[in-house]
Amino acid sequence: MKGLNKAADILGLGLHSLVVHLGRSALTALGIVFAVWSVIAMLAINEGFSYEAQQALRELGSDNIIIGSVKPPNLESSASEQQQGILRYGLLHADVRRLRSNIPNVRRCVTVHRTLKFGYRPGRNLRVNVIETEPTYADVARIQMVNGRFISAADMLRKKAHCVLTESLARRLFPVTDPVGKTIRLANEPFTVIGVLAQLPPALAGEGGEGGANVIVPLTAGRMRFGETSIMFGTGGGTSELVEVHQVILQMADEQAVLYGAKIARHLIARFHEDEDYEIKVPLELIEQQAKQQRLWNIMFLTIASISLVVGGIGIMNIMLASVTERTREIGVRRALGAKRRDIVTQFLVESVTLTTVGGLIGIGIGLLVPSLVEWVLKLRTIVSPATLLLPLGMAIAVGLIAGLYPAFRAARLDPIVALRHE
Amino acid sequence: MAELVRLDNLWKVYHVGTTAVPALRGASLGIHQGEYVAIMGPSGSGKSTLLNVLGCLDRPTGGHYWLGDQDVSALTDNELSDVRNERIGFVFQSFNLIQQLTITQNIEVPLFYQGLPRAQRHPRSRQLAQMVGLGDRLHHRPRELSGGQQQRVAIARALANDPLILLADEPTGNLDTATSTEILGLFDDLHQRGCTIIMVTHEEHVAAHTERVIRLRDGRIESDVAKATGARA
Repeated sequence: MKGLNKAADILGLGLHSLVVHLGRSALTALGIVFAVWSVIAMLAINEGFSYEAQQALRELGSDNIIIGSVKPPNLESSASEQQQGILRYGLLHADVRRLRSNIPNVRRCVTVHRTLKFGYRPGRNLRVNVIETEPTYADVARIQMVNGRFISAADMLRKKAHCVLTESLARRLFPVTDPVGKTIRLANEPFTVIGVLAQLPPALAGEGGEGGANVIVPLTAGRMRFGETSIMFGTGGGTSELVEVHQVILQMADEQAVLYGAKIARHLIARFHEDEDYEIKVPLELIEQQAKQQRLWNIMFLTIASISLVVGGIGIMNIMLASVTERTREIGVRRALGAKRRDIVTQFLVESVTLTTVGGLIGIGIGLLVPSLVEWVLKLRTIVSPATLLLPLGMAIAVGLIAGLYPAFRAARLDPIVALRHE
Repeated sequence: MAELVRLDNLWKVYHVGTTAVPALRGASLGIHQGEYVAIMGPSGSGKSTLLNVLGCLDRPTGGHYWLGDQDVSALTDNELSDVRNERIGFVFQSFNLIQQLTITQNIEVPLFYQGLPRAQRHPRSRQLAQMVGLGDRLHHRPRELSGGQQQRVAIARALANDPLILLADEPTGNLDTATSTEILGLFDDLHQRGCTIIMVTHEEHVAAHTERVIRLRDGRIESDVAKATGARA
């Protein structure tokens, strides 16, 4: 009880002398304030960025291996290909067969072929991205229907001219009426709308559709009506491209299978493709990479912040040393009146820790404001987690303790007789 | 009456570089409860050293010092702090008040280090401030007071822990004659109430207030004269 009283009083003493030198205390704590809020701001922005990136990857499905065709950059200049007038590149049906038969634990394997066509409806006409695929695409791409149904196995088998619209496209083609059951034309081929889906993950949707217009048709129906060659009209004539398969999505049984399957897929495809006309995306690997990258950035930010905290700490130590010198006489008096060495140590430690703690708390205050400002001005997502707040505060307190230690011990080591005589 | 302070062949040797400088060379004396003693001597005679040892600010290099019933000559730093805190009252030449603290807070410093709760410290400091005639200045800062008033606060502070001995180091050295007389009057009062006072001074008229004068020279007690009548008359 006695000790507790004394502890509380010494705490009060430390606070008291800070209040007495308010201006000086404020200036000294400023370094810590800046260090803390900048850490919080950096961590919050980094975390927000990382969250967005991981979210995008998660939309691809962490149990998927996505293998896509890519137009190799050196293809255009290749003379022999040019003579035929058709650019051939990308994945082949044979690749899909090989993948299917060689990779274990594949739950679903979905093939996608894409073409760009004009979509017509009386009075409306726009370029749409046609995704020709299989019914299991819905599971793999985690598609949610808002109206009607997705393409079925029967549609595939009978090469039915059925199509599923994205909600945004449906709204543009059928602003007022229910699109299900209506007919649209894709490059003059009539297709019956059987459903409307909410949204395609941006990473899976094709490019080139006006305003992101996507329409999904059965793979068989598409191949029968449009073939595999697409003609691109550009300035100075057109080019034809032949791509057998644009995308193969392998949905795996579990994470282990994803990593193992990705390894096999890489070997398998590289063996039959001399050009880099494909790319293999493994969201799970990318998510892990992203997390690793975030940790790396966090470490870097914390390192930078530690430097500013150390600088702030040096400032604190400096002012505490000045304070000890300035108050040598007071220390002597306190010692003469019965203060023990540890009482003096405590007094000065409390002072420096209070200084950095208050600085840290103000820093947290500003640190909470800055991310919302960043969100508002730069339209960046920021995430402030409790750890983001507590870590810099803990660091500030530690800095106060470390910076105060030397001055406090110096004060306590003073010979009371010498201290009393100090002018 | 029992001896309150007993010094037995006390030595204090300082080491300056490689040479040993003795400041006290075997001082022995005894002081009884309620005595009012002046310690005099030219500078360098060892009176400051003696006062520091008496005040438990310094440990003797040889000999023994009994304060009350305790040999305090070989205590640790922490134990000496406790002795100073509980048994000794200090009055300094330059008052040595803590400038940021109010009058009552200054008086409470020794009680603070005793761990006395605020509720008990406060009435005590108020009462002491009133005793030295500063009951209306409780919340002033030392800077706002005259030298004499500051020394009164210092005396109140020295009495806060109800000390066995009150040590005063030239308490009137920084004061003008009129104020000196006032402060010496206060010491006289305290003496009459039974305080044991040991005062270092080099002024004869100050020493005249005491009832016993100990003169030091070269670290030895040169003379120790008790006045039969004392200065009270």
